[in-house]
Amino acid sequence: MALSRIRNFSIVAHIDHGKSTLADRLLALTGAMDPKKAVDQVLDSMDLERERGITIKQHTVCLPYRARDGQEYTLNLIDTPGHVDFSYEVSRSLAACEGALLIVDAAQGVEAQTLANFYLSLEANLTIIPVINKIDLPQADVEGTRRQIAEILGLDADDAIPISAKLGTGVPEVLEAIIHRIPPPPGDPAAPLKALVFDSFYDPYQGVVVYVKIFDGRVRAGMSALLMSNGRVYEVQQVGVFTPEMRPVEELSAGQVGYLTAGIKRVADAKVGETITDANRPTVVPFPGYRDAKPMVFAGLYPVEDTAYQSLRDALDKLHLNDSALTFESETSLALGYGFRCGFLGLLHMEIVQERLEREFGLTLIVTSPSVRYRVVTAAGETVEIDNPSKLPPAGEIDHIEEPLVRASVFAPTEFMNPIYRLAQDKRGEHRALEYLGKRVHITFDFPLSEIIVDFYDRLKSISKGYASFDYDFLEFRPSDVVKLDILLNGDPVDALSVILHRDKAYEKGKALAEKLRAVIPRQLFEVAIQAAIGSRVIARETVKAIRKNVTAKCYGGDITRKRKLLEKQKEGKKRMKQLGKVEVPQEAFLSVLRS
Amino acid sequence: MTPLAWSPRQRGPLGLYLHIPFCRQRCHYCSFNTGPYRPAAMDRFLAALLREIDLVGEAEWAGDVAIGTVFFGGGTPSLLEADELETILDRLRKRLAVAPAAEVSVECNPESLSRDKAEGYRLAGVNRLSLGVQSLDDDLLARLGRLHSSQEAGRAFEAARAAGFDNVSVDLMYGLPDLDLARWERTVREILAWSPEHLSAYALTLDEGSRWAGEGVAGLADEETVTAQYWALARLAREAGYEHYEISNYARPGFRSRHNQVYWRAEEYLAFGPGACGFLGDVRYGNVKPVERYCALLEAGHLPLGSHEVLTPAQRTAEKVILGLRLSDGVPLAGLEDRRPLIDTWQSLGLLEVAGDRCRLTEAGFLLSDSLFVELLPAHS
Repeated sequence: MALSRIRNFSIVAHIDHGKSTLADRLLALTGAMDPKKAVDQVLDSMDLERERGITIKQHTVCLPYRARDGQEYTLNLIDTPGHVDFSYEVSRSLAACEGALLIVDAAQGVEAQTLANFYLSLEANLTIIPVINKIDLPQADVEGTRRQIAEILGLDADDAIPISAKLGTGVPEVLEAIIHRIPPPPGDPAAPLKALVFDSFYDPYQGVVVYVKIFDGRVRAGMSALLMSNGRVYEVQQVGVFTPEMRPVEELSAGQVGYLTAGIKRVADAKVGETITDANRPTVVPFPGYRDAKPMVFAGLYPVEDTAYQSLRDALDKLHLNDSALTFESETSLALGYGFRCGFLGLLHMEIVQERLEREFGLTLIVTSPSVRYRVVTAAGETVEIDNPSKLPPAGEIDHIEEPLVRASVFAPTEFMNPIYRLAQDKRGEHRALEYLGKRVHITFDFPLSEIIVDFYDRLKSISKGYASFDYDFLEFRPSDVVKLDILLNGDPVDALSVILHRDKAYEKGKALAEKLRAVIPRQLFEVAIQAAIGSRVIARETVKAIRKNVTAKCYGGDITRKRKLLEKQKEGKKRMKQLGKVEVPQEAFLSVLRS
Repeated sequence: MTPLAWSPRQRGPLGLYLHIPFCRQRCHYCSFNTGPYRPAAMDRFLAALLREIDLVGEAEWAGDVAIGTVFFGGGTPSLLEADELETILDRLRKRLAVAPAAEVSVECNPESLSRDKAEGYRLAGVNRLSLGVQSLDDDLLARLGRLHSSQEAGRAFEAARAAGFDNVSVDLMYGLPDLDLARWERTVREILAWSPEHLSAYALTLDEGSRWAGEGVAGLADEETVTAQYWALARLAREAGYEHYEISNYARPGFRSRHNQVYWRAEEYLAFGPGACGFLGDVRYGNVKPVERYCALLEAGHLPLGSHEVLTPAQRTAEKVILGLRLSDGVPLAGLEDRRPLIDTWQSLGLLEVAGDRCRLTEAGFLLSDSLFVELLPAHS
């Protein structure tokens, strides 16, 4: 296929601005999918994605399109995730594109992730086509949105295409704009093969399925493919395109986007950013590689049943095949036994991983309180990175602790400024900049990362009636007066319940945590004392009274089965309990650290 | 599948339970399988019951395995006239090997037990009566939905004695709404003064299916009060020479309920009547519950089996321990070796005693027994 007939593009948008709806519309319009068979939002195929209404794993689809000039084109739509936790995934798919549709909701205007995605697209040197969506809504403000596109993004407002992805209005114009404005991919089909890996997933039958963009040359089954970063050579077994189902083709050539399989066993062997070339006729200069996804939030994952450790390892290995941002290494907790310290992009990512482990692998897990990575400078002058509160050296050995800060953008209607500032203050935010955009403001804050990983986003949404949007980037490490808060059960510290937090918040958190634990720890045969302490100083204490009576008075008429079933039900409930010393602690207790 | 296909595992005597599923009025705390008493329904039921006895009597083992205890429960078995009860007992003796020295018990409600009826029962072969007194407070009895007064309860007890019964049990309830500790102690003292051979005392539970569970009830006792009442009873009964031989049961020496011990020792028993539960071989089974369905099945010549489950060896072992620990005799330590840490914990908390090669719950342990039983259940079940 001639390069001039290929267009590779992404759709980027703030969450809920209609990316998936437009993608579906494009699929239907180009005939890539029979509209009658269309399941809503086909690209969001993972169950979890559908349930949460977000795209986590990116997808790629090849759309055949006959343009108004009568020519046949191949449009490769590379889908991108749409949540603040996953912006790194966006960057890696953008590298395979020449252009991007930047969707802005006509009723919402430019939001935090609109801006974040806009910058990512600029960094990738993409041609950006602004698209104003949801013009069918009564509250749509197309002209206001045009102004924002011009003022905030600095794009030519006249280039923006007003559409309603829901109704299909304007979508044909979008297709034409893709043809006319986005340049065809560069590349030389006759040159040695040079393909970029921009994603991959593990298929139990075919091994790793690698998403590739061919920059130069051609690839077909039977070729010897060399992975340039590790020197491994594989025989290509199949090449194909996504329609969106995987459809094998004879060959992929320069400019095309598709997949290949080559009996690669682990995703880690064909990393994103990898350069694939012809082993017999290699290209000279590989791609520089992408930036690695950096986990920002860390938590311990432990199986409730000790015997499930190996199953958890296998499950994490499998998830990691498709989710390279997930990191894990084994760790031991005095309280919880053997488990893993896992790194996540954010809390949503963490919840998704946990949910998938429980749902897809049938594991019952305890997740310890999430922590950011602190930098501890010891009295001896050494710097240690700590992502697990229980690993914090004794206070006497610490010179000072530095915590990670992020720079955050908040977009919101002006009427919500006050509550947003109050929230920011509560979260130790430092105001950096304020910009008025008509009826909306763009506020820049610096936040300690630890303050925004747990409930910041939810609270921001709730105080702004859902109108505020939020995005952030790592800024720097900065010295901070943080302390370790310990929880003791009957005098024994429970390492898995420790948290690192700012001294000013320790008292309040300790009190809330002890109260919460009293509520979730069931009464036992003996009294359970719950203490929250900083060092040796106890700052809060609660007691779970001993149970007085738990007895079935009667098994009437010898109905033993009924009694046994009742006991079995109780036993089932206890499965989610973890024995800490003599105290039985339910799974929720560990979650309460998060929520209190 | 029918009980006819399951053979008893044990060679020793079996228990036998008969369920009489009628009451004149349903008590407000009651969730048992019982319906309103109508003479015609009773007649139809009795015919079906006899048919059931005949059918079970066809089992290969029926003539060989002795029946050691017979228990008429309900419902209100004392709604049976003496001749009706005699007919049932005669049929049992005809079809099954009821041992000459079998314990034959009938649950009686005070208002339906006259001296004549009690005498008739005794002549029919009944040798133990269990009297549902529940309370000696007339206001409480009315709130419970009972049809008798405290005076009638006393009279019924005397009637049993006058009819020649030397083995009478009294049923009491505690943890009742607005029953304070002093009133409870008075009740216990008064009952003990009657000198029954046996005493069962159950803490009120609001089981699903009862009126109180459905509607709610005011003045329920808190845990402290119920616990205090348990201990008051335990103390007073001990002082009066009773053995606290099961969580809810007390007896003067030699008068433990043989039938109930069949349950607690995980021994086997046959079941007759709607909703009655039996245990044969490895199978726990239950008859269908609705009286109408029970009768219809038998009229069509079928055994009225409603449900059954085959116990795994692990379940069987666990049940033996769990049920056995309800008794003050406890269970052998053999077989509990792998539960040693649990036993040690319970021992250190004063909830369990180890004596020789057996272990048993203490009176404090009885109160928390379900917490232990949950631990003792096999994990996979």
